[in-house]
Amino acid sequence: MRISTYSAFQRGLDMMQRIQAGLDRTQQQISTGRRLLAPSDDPIAAARSLELRESLARIEQFDRNGEIARNRLNFEETALVSVNDVLQRVRELAIQANNDTQSAEGRRQIAAEMRERIDQLVALANQRDGTGRYLFAGTRDTTAPVSVAGGAWVYNGDQGQRLIQIGEDRQIPDGDSGADVFFSVKDGNGTFSTRAVATNSGDGVLGPGSVLDPAQYDRDTYTIRFTAPGSYDVLDSGGAAVTSGAYTPGASIAFRGIEVTLEGSPAAGDDFVVEPSRNRDLFGIVAELAGVLETPADDAAARAALHNGVNGALADLDQAIGQILDVRTQVGTRLAAIESQADTNASLSLTIQSTVSGIEDLDYAEALSRLSIQATTLEAAQQTFVRTQSLSLFNYL
Amino acid sequence: MPDPLSTALSGMIAFQRAMEMTGHNIANVNTEGYSRQRAEFSTREGQGAATGYIGTGTKIVTIRRVYDDIIGQQLQASTTSHARFEAMNELAGRLDTLLADPATGLNAQLTSFFNAVQDIANDPASLPTRQALLGEADGLVLRFAELDRQLSAMDAEVNQRIGAAVGEINQLAEQIAELNEQITVGRARTGQPPNDLLDQRDLLVRDLSGLVSVNTVMQDDGSMNVFIGSGQSLVIGNEARTLATVPNEFDPTRSEVAFVSASGQVPIGNALTGGRLGGLLDFRGQMLDPARQSLGETAQALAASFNEQHGAGMDLYGNLGGDFFSIAPPAVLTSSNNSGSGTASVTIDDVGALAAGEYLLSFDGTNYSLTNADTGHAVAMTGSGTAGDPFLSDVLAIVTGGAPAAGDQLLIRPAADSTATLARAIDDPQAIAMAAPTRTSADLANLGDGQITASEVVDQDDPGLLATAVIEFTGPSTYSINGAGSFAYVSGDPITVNGSQFTITGTPAVGDRFTLEANSGATGDNRNGLKLADVQAIGILDGGTVSINESYGRLVANVGSATRQVQANYAAQGVVLANAENAQLSKSGVNLDEEAANLVRYQQAYQAVAQVVSVANTLFETLLAATRR
Repeated sequence: MRISTYSAFQRGLDMMQRIQAGLDRTQQQISTGRRLLAPSDDPIAAARSLELRESLARIEQFDRNGEIARNRLNFEETALVSVNDVLQRVRELAIQANNDTQSAEGRRQIAAEMRERIDQLVALANQRDGTGRYLFAGTRDTTAPVSVAGGAWVYNGDQGQRLIQIGEDRQIPDGDSGADVFFSVKDGNGTFSTRAVATNSGDGVLGPGSVLDPAQYDRDTYTIRFTAPGSYDVLDSGGAAVTSGAYTPGASIAFRGIEVTLEGSPAAGDDFVVEPSRNRDLFGIVAELAGVLETPADDAAARAALHNGVNGALADLDQAIGQILDVRTQVGTRLAAIESQADTNASLSLTIQSTVSGIEDLDYAEALSRLSIQATTLEAAQQTFVRTQSLSLFNYL
Repeated sequence: MPDPLSTALSGMIAFQRAMEMTGHNIANVNTEGYSRQRAEFSTREGQGAATGYIGTGTKIVTIRRVYDDIIGQQLQASTTSHARFEAMNELAGRLDTLLADPATGLNAQLTSFFNAVQDIANDPASLPTRQALLGEADGLVLRFAELDRQLSAMDAEVNQRIGAAVGEINQLAEQIAELNEQITVGRARTGQPPNDLLDQRDLLVRDLSGLVSVNTVMQDDGSMNVFIGSGQSLVIGNEARTLATVPNEFDPTRSEVAFVSASGQVPIGNALTGGRLGGLLDFRGQMLDPARQSLGETAQALAASFNEQHGAGMDLYGNLGGDFFSIAPPAVLTSSNNSGSGTASVTIDDVGALAAGEYLLSFDGTNYSLTNADTGHAVAMTGSGTAGDPFLSDVLAIVTGGAPAAGDQLLIRPAADSTATLARAIDDPQAIAMAAPTRTSADLANLGDGQITASEVVDQDDPGLLATAVIEFTGPSTYSINGAGSFAYVSGDPITVNGSQFTITGTPAVGDRFTLEANSGATGDNRNGLKLADVQAIGILDGGTVSINESYGRLVANVGSATRQVQANYAAQGVVLANAENAQLSKSGVNLDEEAANLVRYQQAYQAVAQVVSVANTLFETLLAATRR
């Protein structure tokens, strides 16, 4: 083939420029540590890497969300532990006061302490998290949830629960509304409650009772009426007799799937009421207990009224303690869920990071050996160029 | 009788000419477009005698340039392709890097905006966090605007480059026409080809084919006619026509190439292919326009979907959320050819159904019709175009106005122009609607164990959305709403009241009450916030399959793969061009060794014929001496 002098020159030059361009690219890759310098180097990988980076940023946000939820739940847990302590103390005091050897003065002092404990409970219910939001106000978290109005405690929050996104498909509540924690304590044994009528003249003391067969219990209000000191009728809310029997102290009275136990000796005409549980507030329960203790108990009937009152209140108190425990269990479950989600997020994020690195990052060993090959090639091309360009017939003319 | 002296002299003259020509070749070894020249020697006519014809020496018949038309045409064609991809490659590479660079791309900003939404969802009552979202929204809007500004700048640059290319084409055409004249005259005068002028003209045509694809036709008189596009003549003999840039019929900011004829400037639009000009037009049509459109769609989708979700929430004042972002409706561009004064205002009905970058609304004197401007396919419309009953296609709602004339056209550009108009519409951090508009509660005096779930808005336009509704159980399995009606209760079945939906589970007792009411004062509610944070991931575009994030990722991938194709083609065409250049140089280029050898050859021949003169002289002197007595 005929070679023109110009093209021999130009071809050598082009060759060197091409190698230099490759060398420059390798150099850029090495100095940035990136295999892909522009999306066009590998468009699919570029789009994929955008998606992955986006996922990474989301996971980071989920971790941050989880941290905030964890913080709030820890606040809630601390508050609930204190509430539990207070309730346990109130329970101890109640049992202490229920003792017949306790003097009227002693009961008054106990009642006074209980009233102070109520204030403590209200303060706990109105506690805020570190950023000034009320913990137990539902989603109305800038309103103090509990206030006193006319001797009763009122809930000012709502029943909402805020969910926090802690994983791609996982949301977790970061608290519980005060309505659920403090204002929905089912009284009695949780299904029904029992009480002695205040005008009773005997000293019958009614226990909290229990459910035998939930299917038979129809949530009606029943009255156990003593027709004589040794016999009773059980009447439903319409006044119709459900059952009747002879009274033995300590033996259970069963009807409509439930049973209650009566001690002492009720007088004829004494009434005991069994009614479905209602939601009560924790503060009211303690206040009622204090009220019972403040009532003088001089004779047997009054003492029976005291025992009935304290028994009823103790049952309510146990419900309250159980309720707090339930909530604490849920909080613990949520904290564990956050923990496990954080682990999942961490391993997910590690996987994604290594995928991103596989897509984007440079294999340095390969790049460095490529660099040295390119450098060698360029040198060879330069030497060849100089040698061939110096060849000319004119040198010999 | 032949004269040895004049025979020798003819050789001396011929070889001297040949050496001059060799010198010319050597001198032009680096001249671009130069074709090496060859002297064609031929014998001079012999003189007949009884002893036979005796030759009278040599002569140069012509100086021929070594040039192959076929190779020349191949070189022209590959120059056209190479220049096209060269122009595309440079711009595409810039577009590619612009979109993907974390510092200039959209992704990082989108992510941090939606993360800021989640931050509020974690603590909706916090004003600083809410303020931070407004800041992030500004950052996002700014990024959209900045990207659009860069793309617009590229558009303007393409316009400028088109203008420059058209200028160069005009200049080259004029020079070719001028050379045509010189060549014709030169040939006519000497009967010989003016080699160097031919080389110059071939070089000009090659330069021209680097700008636009050309066809050349040789004429008998040696002149060359040049045609471009779909057969428009650019040079005929010594006459050159001119091209011009004119504003687009609809969009005056867009340059188009037009042919200047006696009757005016006729846009030739897509007829021009190849070369730098073709590359610029291809880049604009195939890469830049789709990129701007895609970015605009992303902006439209963001504004539409975020606003919709925001409107379904409640702000800290207890009001339903207003628009969070504002964005301009689709641009309506009027043709400069319209004789009527028809106008249209257009809104996007369903951003997910956008199928084309541009739509054409035409008026035929009585009716309007809509076509997809990219494909030319008709798009079905219902309605009558009035404000009360707008034309509705699957994508657009169009209200027409003014007095259109038959044949008038309006161009509707739904997305491409809207990117820059994206703005934040909310200034007050408290007006960010993070809460759900309604809440539910169970009456604390309820005796049953019925539980009510949080409410979910299913119809945010329900007029009674914020009204209070009380569900009261009138029997074990019946309930009334606000004291009226009797509805069957099934535990867990969804109940929809006033546009909100919730379920009640368990066994409520007779008389138990549940309330649905406006969610005022719920400073800590984040139910709408969680949904707002989800907007980035839900499918919106392309019939609800592509999310905002994906839509941008797709843009990056599309531009990336288009750029990759251009790069591959550019590299391939580089090889093709180099081969064609080599073939051309191999045929026509000067080789110095060859010229040196020729120099030696002609010199030796010259010296030999000079010797003949000397011999002739000796012969003559011998004759003189013999006759001197």
